[in-house]
Amino acid sequence: MLSNMESAPDRPTAAAASAALTDAEASRAAVARGLFLPSWFLPSLGAAIAVQIATAAVGLAGAEPWLVVLGLGVFAAAAGVQLARFRRLNGVWLGGLASRVVLGTGMAASASYALALGAAIWAAYAAQWGLTAACAVAGGAAYAVSGARWLSAYRAEPAVHSRGESAVWLALLGMAGLLGLALLVLNR
Amino acid sequence: MTAGLDPHVVAPARLTLMTALTAVSEVEFSILRARLEVSDSVLSKHISALADAGYVRVRKGVLAGRRTTWITLTSTGRKALRDHVAALRRLIDLVD
Repeated sequence: MLSNMESAPDRPTAAAASAALTDAEASRAAVARGLFLPSWFLPSLGAAIAVQIATAAVGLAGAEPWLVVLGLGVFAAAAGVQLARFRRLNGVWLGGLASRVVLGTGMAASASYALALGAAIWAAYAAQWGLTAACAVAGGAAYAVSGARWLSAYRAEPAVHSRGESAVWLALLGMAGLLGLALLVLNR
Repeated sequence: MTAGLDPHVVAPARLTLMTALTAVSEVEFSILRARLEVSDSVLSKHISALADAGYVRVRKGVLAGRRTTWITLTSTGRKALRDHVAALRRLIDLVD
């Protein structure tokens, strides 16, 4: 693809400019099309989120902070393993996937997560354990589905969706989340 | 040179390479070579030129136990690409 286009006049003709743009966009689409999720990527993330929601709800309601920490640990381990598998499989790092899909900063993932966590905590305080589990499973499923939707959007417009939030912003979000959970535990 | 056309990107090969890099945050050299269907030497030459211009960043790493080279489009490169593409579109519009 590149080897036929090593040199160009200083000022390309309109036809040459149009052809160059078409080729460039085709190369970007080829890179995006060539990326694949490792097996069980989204289901394992959804399961890890379900475990995290359930343990957070039960841990907070039962004043068992270790359960909250355990759930966060399960999610962190699943996220780390899946991101490493994606990088090894594809030979790329995709910031948008890491933040929007894995860390759930996309609108659908964050909204569904917040809703499911809130409902699970309410159900746990009411000792409705079946409802707590259902909320956790629903939250995990919604997380996985929002990840699949992001992937479709990425393949349609890779340049728009390839970049994730900055590391500083993610660190701030993470600290805010941990602080919120810590306050819930302390106020129990 | 037409206003807005970037001399570092004006070769279609550089435009193709930089546009492909916008699809990812970082890509391993051999993957990029395969996707762009180009030889090691041609890709190395273009990447070196773009790195000298500050448009891409190159770092050495390890993937699955083997030494690898990773390529990233810098924010300077992203802006240069955006400006260059806008200039190309203006050039096309002039004729249309």
